[in-house]
Amino acid sequence: MSTNAAGISIRGVTKRYGSTIALNGVDLDVRPGEVLGIAGPNGAGKSTLIRVIAGEERSDGGELTFDGVPWSPTVDWHAVAVVHQEPQLFPNLTVAQNVMVGREGTSAARPSLSAADARVMDALGIGHLRDRQLADCSLATQQRTEIARAVARDSRVFLFDEPNSALTAAESDELFREMHKIAATGRIVLLVTHRLGDLVEHCKRVAIVRDGRVRAVLEGEALTEDGLARQLVTDSGGAHGHAGARNAAATQAGPELFSARGWTHAKAFRGISMDGKAGEIIALVGVEGSGSRELLRSFAGLERCTGTISIGGMSGEAALRRQTAYVPATRLLSLYSNFSVGENLLVRLGYPEIAGFGLALKRRRMREMARAAVSRFLVKTRTTTQEIRSLSGGNQQKVAIAQALHCGPKLLLLEEPTRGVDIHSKAEIYRLLRDYADEGNTVIIFCTEVLEVYEAADRVHVVAGGTLSPSLQVAEYGHVEQLATDITRLEQEGRSEARAA
Amino acid sequence: MSSSDTTQPPPGHGISAVGKATLDAALRVGGLFAAVIAVALVFVFINPNFANPNLAVSVLRAMSSVAIMAMGLTLVIVVGEIDLSFGAMYGLAANTLAVVWIAMGVSVYLAIPIAIGVGILVGLFNGFLVTSFKIPSFIVTLGSYNLLYGLSLWISNTGTFNPNYPPPGGVVDQGELNFFIGLTQNIGKYSLSIEIFWMLGIAVVVGFLLHRSLFGFRLMAIGGNPEAGKLARLPVKRYKILAFILCSVLASIAGILDFSFIQTSQPDIGLSQTFPVFAAVIIGGASLAGGKGTIIGTLGGALLLAELQIGLALLSPGPHVQQIFLGAVTIGAVALDLFLTKLRKSRTA
Repeated sequence: MSTNAAGISIRGVTKRYGSTIALNGVDLDVRPGEVLGIAGPNGAGKSTLIRVIAGEERSDGGELTFDGVPWSPTVDWHAVAVVHQEPQLFPNLTVAQNVMVGREGTSAARPSLSAADARVMDALGIGHLRDRQLADCSLATQQRTEIARAVARDSRVFLFDEPNSALTAAESDELFREMHKIAATGRIVLLVTHRLGDLVEHCKRVAIVRDGRVRAVLEGEALTEDGLARQLVTDSGGAHGHAGARNAAATQAGPELFSARGWTHAKAFRGISMDGKAGEIIALVGVEGSGSRELLRSFAGLERCTGTISIGGMSGEAALRRQTAYVPATRLLSLYSNFSVGENLLVRLGYPEIAGFGLALKRRRMREMARAAVSRFLVKTRTTTQEIRSLSGGNQQKVAIAQALHCGPKLLLLEEPTRGVDIHSKAEIYRLLRDYADEGNTVIIFCTEVLEVYEAADRVHVVAGGTLSPSLQVAEYGHVEQLATDITRLEQEGRSEARAA
Repeated sequence: MSSSDTTQPPPGHGISAVGKATLDAALRVGGLFAAVIAVALVFVFINPNFANPNLAVSVLRAMSSVAIMAMGLTLVIVVGEIDLSFGAMYGLAANTLAVVWIAMGVSVYLAIPIAIGVGILVGLFNGFLVTSFKIPSFIVTLGSYNLLYGLSLWISNTGTFNPNYPPPGGVVDQGELNFFIGLTQNIGKYSLSIEIFWMLGIAVVVGFLLHRSLFGFRLMAIGGNPEAGKLARLPVKRYKILAFILCSVLASIAGILDFSFIQTSQPDIGLSQTFPVFAAVIIGGASLAGGKGTIIGTLGGALLLAELQIGLALLSPGPHVQQIFLGAVTIGAVALDLFLTKLRKSRTA
């Protein structure tokens, strides 16, 4: 009884968004003094669970208890501190002011730094920076400030959400040392990360969230990178077309469609050579700050680069402008909330597709095109005149992709095309991409999940330290774990090469 | 009428400027014109003499220059920017025309294009600073408001001009004078000013631009999500600059037409129009956040304001009542709009 009562107990917690079930009865115990890892594929409910624990979202059902007492994080939000990937602080205030913020209390006077605050900041190694404006501090310092604020507030639960994705190796070691110190004081610590190595190294137990539930909790012997990788992958029955056979066919078939030589960006990468054949889907993998996102965006002409490039018989600026279309990672950057579904589908088109003489819109044609697009791109919507917001996340994502496909790019560029998308839509999106490649185009996807590489791509390049690895043929892998291992190896090689150079 | 479980799109609903947004706009415009009628009925109830076509005509005349400027402002607001300088532009256009034509003796047929050309330059200036230097449009146009007013004071030498009484040494050709006055002269039994027809003609053109052309479609898109527009490589900068140019040009036209009607220019004319024009656009349902707004709504807003202004001027003991009503109606219209939107959303969700 005593072991069960201490810490947070989550029982049967559910959460739905419209028709989508994000959490479907989560059971989880978090004990004080341990570091509990949480892992799961994107869109599996992991981030919803975190938001519920952090009090940013109210659960629909189930119950939470803290030390045996019913607990509502939305009310008791002070108890939970989240250390974000991107610190959510006030960049215009100093480090010390950020630590004190929210503690103005009832007096009109500005709060002053207490001795206890100073001790906390010193312990975290940011004491000497206290009067520095936060905007001028490194990301590592900003995260420490976030931790200091939480410690000073006496938060009892610390939630580290992908905390080291943009830190150097040394900085993240430091961060994890602080994390363990916090756990040692008997506080509750949760670590959410995509990096399996970190989970194995730093967590006592790791909960795997899949399809809105905690599917497994690994600990002790069972807690290995391999074991985690397998848990993350073995799920979601049906959605898995490892596209082996089609891959093989595609690699033989297509003529060269895309090539970049000496492709160099002022900050993110240099001297990259890359090719693509018609019919190919190529994945780019790389951690935040590796240059992979910038590389993808540069092919869309959104980053200024030097080098030579040719796409579908055109070269230079013209090729980037006329032959490519880019789909950003978040739908906030591709959909127009003031537009209907149909308008969103057609918004990238212009003269002569949807407008004729005098730039008058061809309204009947637009209606027909919108209806055709809805059925071709498998968008589930009652009408084309519905508000875009009324669609589910997966269907919104299909609209975002369809928008770009309508331009008929020879080179389609997508950033995390299935982020926050349900399994069914995911499979449909992969099918759409495959069909589009089969029509004689090249598709490049920036992925953060190995599973996505495995399910969707023919080849994968790893970007690390601003250079591009040789590609791996996905069809040669019988298991996603092997692919994950090789990608990790290429990542490490790339980073050490970059350091040597 | 339309039930919530239809599988086919209701007939007559296209997809451009369309869908749910059209329905919203239609309700909004319907409500607005119902308010216009209700206010008219109240006035007639208070004083039966108000039921008189001449009064209706003067309301239309009074709204026309406000409406012309408001349509230009609607374009800028739809694309997600703001223009505070159109009132000063109205004055600068009238003063430019006055100086070039009456004082410098250039033909009116050339002086009018020059005054409109100044509008194009000002729009270009505003748009360029906003898009290329990324200065917020509020600040740019606050600056150009003062700048343009300064220019008006300078070129007019703080003087007033009237083409019927040219300054010593100046000569105004009678034919040119007739043409100029003819731009807005009253015609017909109810002495309908031609300025009303200018307003209607401009409404047709701008309405086409905003609601039936690729230009307007993209303007709405850019206003709704400028970042997405940029990533999708829509011509964001060019369209924003064009919106500023159209706004300044329409303000110039309004200034020239009012000059023709009043026949007197002063350096500070137009400045006091700034906020009533904003009020018309906001009452008409445009959102300062961008991506939302209609020409018919803006016309309705201008009409409601003109109606209140004239009705209250005839009834009230003082100008304070008009101002208080203007304030109340502006806030009330937006508050009502937000309330009804929320109500509908909570019903459909």
